[in-house]
Amino acid sequence: MSTLEIGGSQLDAAWFLLLGGVLFAIGTVGVLVRRNPLVILISIELMLNAVNLTLIVFSRQLQNMEGQLFALMSMTVAAAEAVVGLAILVDIFHVRDVEDIDELSEMKG
Amino acid sequence: MSTSQLALAVLLLPAAGAILLAGRGWRLPRIVTVIVGPGVVWASFAATLMLFFGQAKGDFTYWTWIKSGTFDVPFNLLVDNLSIFMCLVITGVGALIVTYSVGYMEHEDDPSYARFFTYMDVFIFSMLLLVLAGNFVFLIVGWALVGLSSYLLIGFWYQRRSAVLAARKAFVMNVIGDVGMILGAFVIFVTYHAVTYGAVFAQLKSGTFCPPPGQLTQCLHIVGGDSSSLELAAFLLLVGAVAKSAQLPLHTWLPDAMEGPTPVSALIHAATMVTAGVYLIGRMHPIYDIATYAHNTVAIVGAVTALFAATIAIVQTDIKRVLAYSTMSQIGYMFLAVGIGAYAAGFFHLLAHAFFKALLFMAAGNVIHAMHDEQDMRKFGGLFRQLPRTSWSFLIGSLALVGVIPLVGFFSKEQILGAAFSKPDDSLALAVWVVGVVTALITGFYTGRMWWMAFGGKPSPERPVAVPHEARLVMMVPVLILAALSVVGGFIQTRALGIGPSQVSDFLASAVGPVRWEENAGAIVIGLATMVLAALLFLAAYRWYVARTWTPWSSRLPWAQRLLERKYYFDEIYDAAFVRPMDGLADVGLRDIEKPVFDGAVVGTGRAAVAGASSLSLTQSGYFRNYVLVFVGGAVVAAVLLLIRASS
Repeated sequence: MSTLEIGGSQLDAAWFLLLGGVLFAIGTVGVLVRRNPLVILISIELMLNAVNLTLIVFSRQLQNMEGQLFALMSMTVAAAEAVVGLAILVDIFHVRDVEDIDELSEMKG
Repeated sequence: MSTSQLALAVLLLPAAGAILLAGRGWRLPRIVTVIVGPGVVWASFAATLMLFFGQAKGDFTYWTWIKSGTFDVPFNLLVDNLSIFMCLVITGVGALIVTYSVGYMEHEDDPSYARFFTYMDVFIFSMLLLVLAGNFVFLIVGWALVGLSSYLLIGFWYQRRSAVLAARKAFVMNVIGDVGMILGAFVIFVTYHAVTYGAVFAQLKSGTFCPPPGQLTQCLHIVGGDSSSLELAAFLLLVGAVAKSAQLPLHTWLPDAMEGPTPVSALIHAATMVTAGVYLIGRMHPIYDIATYAHNTVAIVGAVTALFAATIAIVQTDIKRVLAYSTMSQIGYMFLAVGIGAYAAGFFHLLAHAFFKALLFMAAGNVIHAMHDEQDMRKFGGLFRQLPRTSWSFLIGSLALVGVIPLVGFFSKEQILGAAFSKPDDSLALAVWVVGVVTALITGFYTGRMWWMAFGGKPSPERPVAVPHEARLVMMVPVLILAALSVVGGFIQTRALGIGPSQVSDFLASAVGPVRWEENAGAIVIGLATMVLAALLFLAAYRWYVARTWTPWSSRLPWAQRLLERKYYFDEIYDAAFVRPMDGLADVGLRDIEKPVFDGAVVGTGRAAVAGASSLSLTQSGYFRNYVLVFVGGAVVAAVLLLIRASS
């Protein structure tokens, strides 16, 4: 297993990947179990950043800048996504207060 | 104007009138309907007169309707003395009757009024197309169109259930005939590869016929009298003629057709359409002259129908139904005449019948009008003094029907009987002559019964109107004109007496051939004797039905009266033989095929779609977390699959 040099010290790359996986899992569970719409959005951001971390780790490991480019791209998309998601939420909040996302189940078939 | 344009004008003027009145024509003032409706028929009559006096003749092709290889259907009109003769009857008598309708239908509201004249003009157009058509295809078109207009006019009062049923019955019976006609035309086309009369009959005359060049079939030679395909075609055409002319066994629609307004009965079901069968036999006489079996069948059908219908007429109490059975009987005479080859006699009787039967129907219409739509003769009585002009006209019509000299009916009927009696070496002609004479006597009796019941004696206590009023002028004048024609019409052809002019026979000689045998002196004597006996029976009816000094015949023969009142059970037999089995079949089809199979398939498809949709819609819970869970689950499965693939 290769190592990465971070701040002058050598660290096994697997730890970074493990961190990414744990963050991603926390984000996923947050999306699944939390009810507040804002917290769900935050959890999604967490998942995205977990992926970004993984991309950058592989980029450093493979000495290939494409991974970093991809991470930048992903951040841009995440920003846009946050804007759109928040805008929708704000619009909904104009109509009524939503504390539980389950209240928004009008699309039930 | 050239002859071809004139012939087209005769045909298209009524069509133009119908188009003008159709649709929203009633939005125009009623006077437009009154002028256009009868006006176009009068104009057509004028054009026909120009053809008549111009001695027009010819076969005019206007355009090609269908052309496909050797199959070539032109639109051509055949103008010869037979079609001009028929056009004169149709437009002349037709114009009088349509004019009469102006008064008879005046109680209708505007849309119905315009609708009536539209249908009448459509009928005149169809009938003219039928007689002017120069080929079998347009003959069939006209044949079907008169059936359609008859249907529309019988069912004119469509609010009445009985009228709708009668119209449907007439249509079904006529379609049976149409099928026969069309099959007959097919047989002729398959045999001769031509649809125009000219081309077909030319091949008959020469005795040999060749298919058009390009078809590898050799020329065939016909031996007169044993051509089986001609017999087949003649029998099939006879089916059409029998259905249209209400002859046995396809006659049951005509009495019911009296549900229509009285001018319709006069025009379609007395004067013109029902005589189309006679025209057809006359027009096809080159075929029938060769197809002797079919030709003899025509005579037998006519004779049997004449007698059969006359006997039923004895017991009818509805004045229009008496006239309807009398019409069947008189058309039977015409079939008898053309069936033995006395074409001109048959057509003379057609003309005479158009005069006196239209007269009788319209005079009866005046009576019905005055009696506030009561048609039961038992409730009339004593009208002679109260409706003098109508009564005299009706009497003239009745005596013409009986065949009293010198009215037109005497000359035409006795000419038919004389021709049958004197046809040399033909036992069939002699047999139908006997039937014809018996029918003539019965005719005298039932006509007398009708006359005395309705007009003689004292007013019936059940009469709806105590002091009836004479009809309006517009209804009276056509009746009087026809009465005058019934009186003087016979003098254009007095051959029945062996002397005098024979205008009709001479005129038609070029179309249906000259008179083939001369009447002998015995026929004239017997004819006069028949006339005297029939007239005596006419008078004797007074004893039975007004004075009641003689015991009614029906009390001695109650079974016969019942048989006649049930019209020989024809309706019941047809009901049991065709209507009820068909209804049963339809019920079985509805219950065992339509509902389980077709209905089941259609409804089942719908049900399956609904069930599938509702079970699928369970997945659409509307909860965000459910969708995310499915998404994550999918991602996990995809990841696991990737890992498995990567490790193997």
